[in-house]
Amino acid sequence: MAFLADANSQATAAAAARRKVLEGLRTTDVFFRGLTVSSAYFVLILLGAIFASLVVGGYLAFATFGFRFLTTEVWNPVTEQFGALAPIYGTIVTSLIAMLVAVPISIGIAVFLTELCPMGLRRPIGIAIELLAGVPSIIYGIWGLFFFAPVIQRYVQPELIAAFKNVPVLNQLFAGPPYGIGILTSALILAMMVLPFITAVCRDVFETVPPVLKEAAYGMGWTTREVVRNVVIPYTRVGIIGGVMLGLGRALGETMAVTFVIGNAHRISGSILAPGTTISATIANEFTEAVGDVYTSSLIALGLILFFITFIVLALARLMLMRIEKKAGA
Amino acid sequence: MNLMSKDVDTGLTEKITVSNLKFFYGSTLALKNISLPLYERQVTAFIGPSGCGKSTLLRVLNRMYDLYPNQRAEGQVMFDGENVLDMTDLNLLRSRIGMVFQKPTPFPMTIYENIAFGIRLYERLPKSEVDGRVESALEKAALWKEVKDKLHSSGLSLSGGQQQRLCIARTVAIRPEVILFDEPCSALDPISTAKVEELIDELKNEFTIAIVTHNMQQAARVSQRTAFMYLGELVEFGVTQKLFTNPSDKRTQDYITGRFG
Repeated sequence: MAFLADANSQATAAAAARRKVLEGLRTTDVFFRGLTVSSAYFVLILLGAIFASLVVGGYLAFATFGFRFLTTEVWNPVTEQFGALAPIYGTIVTSLIAMLVAVPISIGIAVFLTELCPMGLRRPIGIAIELLAGVPSIIYGIWGLFFFAPVIQRYVQPELIAAFKNVPVLNQLFAGPPYGIGILTSALILAMMVLPFITAVCRDVFETVPPVLKEAAYGMGWTTREVVRNVVIPYTRVGIIGGVMLGLGRALGETMAVTFVIGNAHRISGSILAPGTTISATIANEFTEAVGDVYTSSLIALGLILFFITFIVLALARLMLMRIEKKAGA
Repeated sequence: MNLMSKDVDTGLTEKITVSNLKFFYGSTLALKNISLPLYERQVTAFIGPSGCGKSTLLRVLNRMYDLYPNQRAEGQVMFDGENVLDMTDLNLLRSRIGMVFQKPTPFPMTIYENIAFGIRLYERLPKSEVDGRVESALEKAALWKEVKDKLHSSGLSLSGGQQQRLCIARTVAIRPEVILFDEPCSALDPISTAKVEELIDELKNEFTIAIVTHNMQQAARVSQRTAFMYLGELVEFGVTQKLFTNPSDKRTQDYITGRFG
């Protein structure tokens, strides 16, 4: 009996000790939970604060011009008439052209890297792409202005103008003198800048395709093209769209490189060879010289619009993903 | 070796003849001088403990190992008078030697497309004929009744057993000469397993079949010839019934009675 009682008291002592340890752990757990919760809320607060200050700062512009601010392309600091249409147009068009160029190339590189590339080349090319992603945008800007734009001006634009001279619609798109700088040049620079991001995402998601699924496809006698088109890309399309959206988000907001090569002209031209401007380029260019409240407010209002455009792009991406997932069933 | 010549005496043709096959993963020797035949319209089972090289052998037959660097094979695998190891048109080879995998691998497309795509890749056929081929492939895979009303829903919406039969249908549809099964039932429940086994038994009337399995009862049930492999060596090859009832090698005896593996 004494032996039993001894064992009993030992067990109680062990339980008590354990309880004490657990209490300590629970305190840290509460602390930890508080830390993560407040971090999460902090992001929301930050987002709200940015949004709020943009609204407050841009209020004057919207109050002065009303809805016209979005639909006119006048931008006259002297008469204090401002309209956002030209930068909105420039932002969207440069980004879209950039995506048209960058997405197929990125997917191509990713396919090559994951499916075809000899092992020895994989790392060097992969590293080169990562380095490309690390180049600061100011360097793309000066390189674009001093090297790329003159090359485009001398060799590419005259060819485009000549080639489409007699094609209806397209001759409007490629009209005008070859300035070098302009919408097309900016879009091409943007394409180079987003290419590594899209490529990296695509490569990563391509690597998530189960080897057995690829083996099954190759086992049917399919060639790499069919395997990629019918297995790898459908299997990873959610990830690819994610990568494309990441690139698009970056292209929409890119400032420095675009400011260098777009020409900063507040007008909408039918030709993609013509100079134009984007929202971020306008803000970067004109903030220091913005005199008067309406001018400053108009620039902040532009920022708000960019905020919205990015938001809409993200929302659309989400919507597309949901649709695709639904369609794929499972 | 006696057994083999007797088989030839029974008038079976060797669809594939493996001789002195060695296989390397990097510098590791995974198959040591394997020689054996696969007889036409017969089921040959490969059994043996994990890592004995049976799946590796299967993957040599359709050159699947070519997808990976640092894997190579030496020796001879004669398939209709040509050495598989020297072939350059692997797409053609793989359309003649189909493969069904351990896990069901439906492609991310509809049930119909899973089958039709492979057919259309090799043959330009009018749609009605493709439809017919899809139906007959699904019939052969004993899946037609279950899916005929939802041909255009995703292949991924099927159950595991149905997916595996879809993969078999897809393989059958392009009319290969040989079908390789790499543990086709290891992810399936007993009922689906029974269906797939039944299917394999029927498919042997048209195709030459090789099956890797961990399940010795399965090997005994579906195959006419069995190869027992151990540590990269072919220990014993012969008529299934004899190998399971009266093995000539001590190691085979130990394995099939469950003493190791």
